[in-house]
Amino acid sequence: MSASSDSIELYADDPEWADIEPVRQYENPNPLAPIFYTEEYRDATDYFRGVVKKGDMSPRVLDLTEKIIRLNPAHYSAWQYRYKVLLALKSPLDLELRLMDELAVKFLKTYQVWHHRRLLISHPQLSSSKSSSFYLTAELRFIAKCLVVDSKNYHTWSYRQWLLSNFFSGGERGKEEEEVWKKEMEWIEQMIEEDVRNNSVWHHRFFVVFQSGIRVGDEDREVVRRREIDFAKDKISLAPSNPSAWNYLRGVLDNNNLPYSDLSIFVRPYAQARSPDAEADEVIDLENPSPSKGAQLPCVPAIEFLADVYESGKSRDDIEKAAQLWKSLANEYDTIRKKYWEYRIKEALEVLPA
Amino acid sequence: MVAPRPAPVDAYPTDTSDTQAETEETLLKHIPDPNSSTNPPPTLQKNVHLQFLVRNLLQGFPSRYISQDASQPWLLFWTIQSFSILQAGLDPNNKQRAIDTIMEWQHPDGGFGGGPGQAPHLLPTYAAISALAIVGRPGPGGGWDQIDREKLYKFFLSLKQPDGSFLVMDHGEVDVRGIYCLLVTASLLDLLTPELVEGTPAFIASCQTYEGGFASASQPYFSASPDSEREGASTLLSSPRPPLGEAHGGYTFCALASWVMLLPFLPPSNAPTINTKTLLRWLTNMQGTEIELGGFKGRTNKLVDGCYSWWVGGAFALLESIGVGGPRHGHEPEAEHAREPHHGDDEGWDDVDDVLFNRKALQEYILYAGQHPAGGLRDKPPKAADAYHTLYCLCGLSSAQHHLVISPARRQAIYDVWKSEPSSSEGDIRKKVFAESLSWVEEEGAAKFVGGTNNRVNATHPIFNLTITHTEGIMSHFYKQTVPPRVVSKKA
Repeated sequence: MSASSDSIELYADDPEWADIEPVRQYENPNPLAPIFYTEEYRDATDYFRGVVKKGDMSPRVLDLTEKIIRLNPAHYSAWQYRYKVLLALKSPLDLELRLMDELAVKFLKTYQVWHHRRLLISHPQLSSSKSSSFYLTAELRFIAKCLVVDSKNYHTWSYRQWLLSNFFSGGERGKEEEEVWKKEMEWIEQMIEEDVRNNSVWHHRFFVVFQSGIRVGDEDREVVRRREIDFAKDKISLAPSNPSAWNYLRGVLDNNNLPYSDLSIFVRPYAQARSPDAEADEVIDLENPSPSKGAQLPCVPAIEFLADVYESGKSRDDIEKAAQLWKSLANEYDTIRKKYWEYRIKEALEVLPA
Repeated sequence: MVAPRPAPVDAYPTDTSDTQAETEETLLKHIPDPNSSTNPPPTLQKNVHLQFLVRNLLQGFPSRYISQDASQPWLLFWTIQSFSILQAGLDPNNKQRAIDTIMEWQHPDGGFGGGPGQAPHLLPTYAAISALAIVGRPGPGGGWDQIDREKLYKFFLSLKQPDGSFLVMDHGEVDVRGIYCLLVTASLLDLLTPELVEGTPAFIASCQTYEGGFASASQPYFSASPDSEREGASTLLSSPRPPLGEAHGGYTFCALASWVMLLPFLPPSNAPTINTKTLLRWLTNMQGTEIELGGFKGRTNKLVDGCYSWWVGGAFALLESIGVGGPRHGHEPEAEHAREPHHGDDEGWDDVDDVLFNRKALQEYILYAGQHPAGGLRDKPPKAADAYHTLYCLCGLSSAQHHLVISPARRQAIYDVWKSEPSSSEGDIRKKVFAESLSWVEEEGAAKFVGGTNNRVNATHPIFNLTITHTEGIMSHFYKQTVPPRVVSKKA
C-alpha cells in the first residue's frame, strides 16, 4: 500500500504469525477522533489484539510487546500482557531488568517503564534470591544515573523512595541497610550541592531523615533536628530566595512541633534591606549564617517567616507587626499573592479580642 | 502595576535558576508593552481554537499522537469538554458517532480501556464516562444504559488495596489520579459505597507532604503484629506512610477533589485530617509572579505551565468548599455577595474579590501566553498546542472567570425533592453524595472577564470538570432523581 512497507517487516508477512488472526481496532468504520497510525504500528497492534483474543502466551509475544512498547511506551496493555507472559514462561527476570535499563533511559518520562521495573524487582525471583542485594543496589545506582540526565523526574524519584522504603526500612538487611542509608545521605548532599534549588532532592532528604525510619546513629532526634535546621540555614544563606530550602526548614519545624520563633535571630537579617555598614560590623555567628554577599534582600520567604513568628506571639502588638509585614508583601514584595496576604491579615486580626 | 521583576538569583545561579531565567525572557515578550496606549484588550481566539478542535475530532490526530494511542478516551474527552467550555456542542450525527466510538472501549470484564481491545484501566474509564456524560443519553444506543455498572463496580473492588488505595489496573500502580478517576466515575454512576471507599480518606491524607501539596502515592507500613519478634520495628517511624514523590499540582488536585468527594464517608470519630493551612500556602505559592504572567507551576522551583491553570487554579474552589477562604461559611453565597457583573476593566478589580489567587493574572497568562496563534492552547511559548493543554488551559480560564461555591439553599432544594428507594439501606449516603455533587452554583455577579465578556467561557464543575448541566443530566439519570430547576437568585 505505501512505499514504506518494503522496508518495514510486518507481522502480516511473517509466516511465524500466520496462526494469529489480526484484529482491526474498530469494527465501526467511522470512529470519531481517530489517530493516523503508521503502518508498522497498526500492524503490530492488530496482531497484539489478536494475541490477547487468543490468549497466546508464547515467547514470540515478548518480541511483539517489545516492538509495540518501543513504538509507544505508554501502551499499558502491552506492558501488562508482557508481564503476564514473562510470568507464564518463567522467564529470567534479571534479563528483563537489563532490557529495561535501555528502555528506561530512552523513555524516561513514561510511567510504565518505572512501574515495570517495580514489578520485576519485587517479584520473589529477584527480591528473594541470593543475589537480591546485588539487584537492589544496582537499582539504586541505575536510578542515580537516570537522575543525572533528568534531575527532577517525578517517577524516578518516587521509584527510588519506594525502593528504599520497601526493601531497606525493615531491618532485615542489617549492616547493609546502614550502609545504604549512609550513602544515600552523602548522595543527597552532592545532589543539593549541584543544584540547591532542586526541590526533588529536598523532598528526598525529608523522606530519608524523617519518614522512612530511624537510622543507626540518628537515634538522638534532638541532634538530628538541630543538624537539619543547620543544614537548611546554611543553604538559605547561599541563595536566600530559594523556596525549596525554606519549605524544608518549615517542614522540619512543623514535623517536630518546634516554634518558628526559635529561628527569629537567624531570619531577621534576611527580612530587611542590607544595611550599608553591614560588612563593617559583621560578626561571624556560626549558628546563624548571614546572607551571602550577592543575596538580594529582603527576600520574600524571610518576610513571610518573620510574620509567622510574630503571628505566633498572639498579642495585639505581635499581630500588628505581622500585619505590617504581610502588607509589605501584598503591596511591594510579593504583589501577585496580594489576596493571600490580605487573607492572612484578616484571619490573624479576627482572633484578637475586640 | 509593579514592573515585572525577575526571580532573584542571589548571584548564585544553578540549572534551576538558569531555566527559570530563560522562561522569564520568553514570557516577557508576551507581556504587552505597558507604555503603549494602543494595546487592544487580549482576546480569546474562540474560532481558531474551535477549528483546531474540529480538525482533531473529524479529520483525526496526526501520527505523533500514536504516543497517546492508549489514551483515546482522553483525547476525546479533552476535545469535547473543550467544546463545552467554549459553549459549543456536537450535532446529533457526531454525537452518535462519539457514543459508538466510546462504547467500543468498554471491556467485556467491566471498565473501559484506552482503545478497543485494551485492558480496563481507571484513567480511560474516567475519561470515557465523562465523555459519555457530555454526549450520551438514556435508552438504546445512547451509551448510558449500555455501561455495565455491575461489572464496573466489581472491577473497582478488584483493584482495592489494604491501605485504602486502588491500583489503576490489574498489575498496575497506585496513584491518586486513579483514585480521583474512580471516585468521579462512581459518583456520576451511583456506585459510590462505604464498602468501596473504606480506608481511602486516610490514604489520601497520607499523601500530603511537608510542603502542603500532595504526592502521587504513599508507602504503607503495617505495624508489626503483637506477637512478632521484631515488635516495634515499624512503630519507630514518626510517619508510618511516607509520601512517594514531592508535592505536585496534578496529584494535589486529584487528592483534594477526592477528599471533597469522600467527606460524606468520613468516620464519625478518629477521622483522618488534612492540613489546609499548608495546602493553601502551597497552592498560592504555585502562582508565578508578574514576569511569569501569573501562570501556575506544578512544583516548587519548576516552571509555569498552562495546564496547572486548572490543576492548581481549579483547586481553590475545592478548598473554599471545605471552609478555607472565600465567602464566610454558613452564609448563603448568592444573597450575601450578589454584585454587579464585572467587565474586566482594571478599576476596582481587587476590591470585589474574595478568591485567594490572582484571577486576573491567571487569565492574562492564558490569553497572552497560552494561546497558540495557529489554534489550540499550550504549556507555554514557544511550544505547540495539544489536546490536553487546550482543555486544561480553557478550564483554568473558566475557573479564573467564574466563582463557583456550594450553595446551602441549592442543597436543601435537592434534598426536598429527593425520592427514596424503599429497598435501599444506603439511601442517606446516596442522597448526600447526590446533593453535595449538585449544590455547586455560580456566585452571582462574581464573574470576571479579562478582555471583556466576549472572552467568556462556560463555568465547569469544580470536582468533575463537566458543565453543571451535563453533571445534572447524567447524575439524575443514574440516581433516578429529578433535579429542581435552577433559579437565578437576585440581589437580596
